[in-house]
Amino acid sequence: MMDILQDIKYVIFYPSFFVMIIFPGLLVGGLFILFVIWFERKIAARVQMRVGPYYVSRFGGIAQLLADAIRVALQEIIIPAGVNPTLYVIAPIFPLLFAFLPLAFLPIGVIPEQGSVFSAYYRSFFDPSVGMGVIAALPTEYSLIAVLAVEAAYPIFIILQAWATNNRFALVGAVREAYLSVAYDVLILMSVIAIAVEYHTLDVAEVVQSGIPGIVANPLAAFVFFVGLIMATSRFPFEIVEAESELVTGPATEYSGLLFLFSMGGSYFGTYVYALYFAAVFLGGWYPLSGFPGAVILFLKAAIIVLFSVFLRSVYGRYRIDQALRNSWRLLLPVALASIVLGIVGGWLWIR
Amino acid sequence: MDQVKIREYDKNKNPFRLFGAHVAAIGEGIKHAIKPKTITLKYPDVSMTLPTNYRGMIRLYKDVCIGCSLCAMICPADAMKMTTWEGKKLPQINFGRCVFCGFCVDVCPVDALKETRVHDAAFQSRRELVFNPDKFNQDFDQTLPVKGTVRKVRAVIDENKGIRYVPDE
Repeated sequence: MMDILQDIKYVIFYPSFFVMIIFPGLLVGGLFILFVIWFERKIAARVQMRVGPYYVSRFGGIAQLLADAIRVALQEIIIPAGVNPTLYVIAPIFPLLFAFLPLAFLPIGVIPEQGSVFSAYYRSFFDPSVGMGVIAALPTEYSLIAVLAVEAAYPIFIILQAWATNNRFALVGAVREAYLSVAYDVLILMSVIAIAVEYHTLDVAEVVQSGIPGIVANPLAAFVFFVGLIMATSRFPFEIVEAESELVTGPATEYSGLLFLFSMGGSYFGTYVYALYFAAVFLGGWYPLSGFPGAVILFLKAAIIVLFSVFLRSVYGRYRIDQALRNSWRLLLPVALASIVLGIVGGWLWIR
Repeated sequence: MDQVKIREYDKNKNPFRLFGAHVAAIGEGIKHAIKPKTITLKYPDVSMTLPTNYRGMIRLYKDVCIGCSLCAMICPADAMKMTTWEGKKLPQINFGRCVFCGFCVDVCPVDALKETRVHDAAFQSRRELVFNPDKFNQDFDQTLPVKGTVRKVRAVIDENKGIRYVPDE
């Protein structure tokens, strides 16, 4: 009997399963995103002198989101005439998948040799560059780049989704996404290269275990990455792809019901995963803790980033596409270049 | 291709100032988020006392009316119609059409029409929106389906927020 319990415990806490499905993956991530959408509505209401969700449940209408989610999920899925039904149905699943998959490469903590729930996996998840095990679904020494490599596929599937729906609002949104994706991918990659040069590594775990948060070592890279994060996940002021007042909901225009939830969930999961990455690389991640408490610290830092990025909705209007592109190429690209120079100098003089 | 020249504001060409302006905007947002200046009236639980010259639902004083039909003629929405009611020409009103412009009240030579302070009403069918002279002759009164007591408040001008609500006795 105890053996079976031990086996179940072993399976549940196996990092590949635990990270992707339970924490900080689908289960906790999904609940957190429901909370984030409620928070987004509530905080925007507070800033705009309104009340926001109020009646559903005692505490600030927090069950409103559950009610809305159930209502949307049970709506009829309408497949328009003139689309390829197979592509139409699978298209919104890909952005969600590719917003979420990068989490597989992201270490969310380190495993000490003894004394942690995860210590049983110390050998199989050993990371030689850190000298400890890492809690990651797929431990790799190139996690700094691997996360971005998978996340970079996200805009392609947004364009596929718009193409599959055969709607002109969706196509305009897709063209905007194509323009923007080039701009933000360059910014994000350059700031990450600055960090990689500065820390002499491509491993997120090693960056965190060095003990110096990236925002201290290279504040320019942190700033550029944060702006890139907002652009990549279409939060305000870069909510240009799903511009509601111009393009209905951009690439998700034709979708209803569960497919709409998928297509909107993709951008929120993207924000969440990018925020976890930002918290690990730039905000010191789990350091100096290890094991599960460290992962919780990382999650809390990421939660603050996500909540801040949705809070921006209440502050900003929306940039036009040309303004966003001009700002990113003309103002932020020099900052990104400067961050690489700062990274080279910092890596040469400070961080060995 | 024609080159379209888009004009922009020349402000904040200096990137450092631009960054400062963004930080200031976010700071302002955080200030509002922490200390909200909510002006929403939570309506069915809290009800506002309206000013005496409020243009709410119109009522008729049947005994004063002389049946001149000026109100029916001036009505821009065709809401007011004359009927023969118990041997006398009297107006009836369709609140489904009424736009609450108050022309009928203004034009009435004997002040037989008045605007009341009631405006929150709900009806089961469109037929109920037509008020015959008998129904039109009373102050409209409908109890709101609210649990507990409705707090009455009064709106006053506030220099910081615009509007503030104070309890009304």
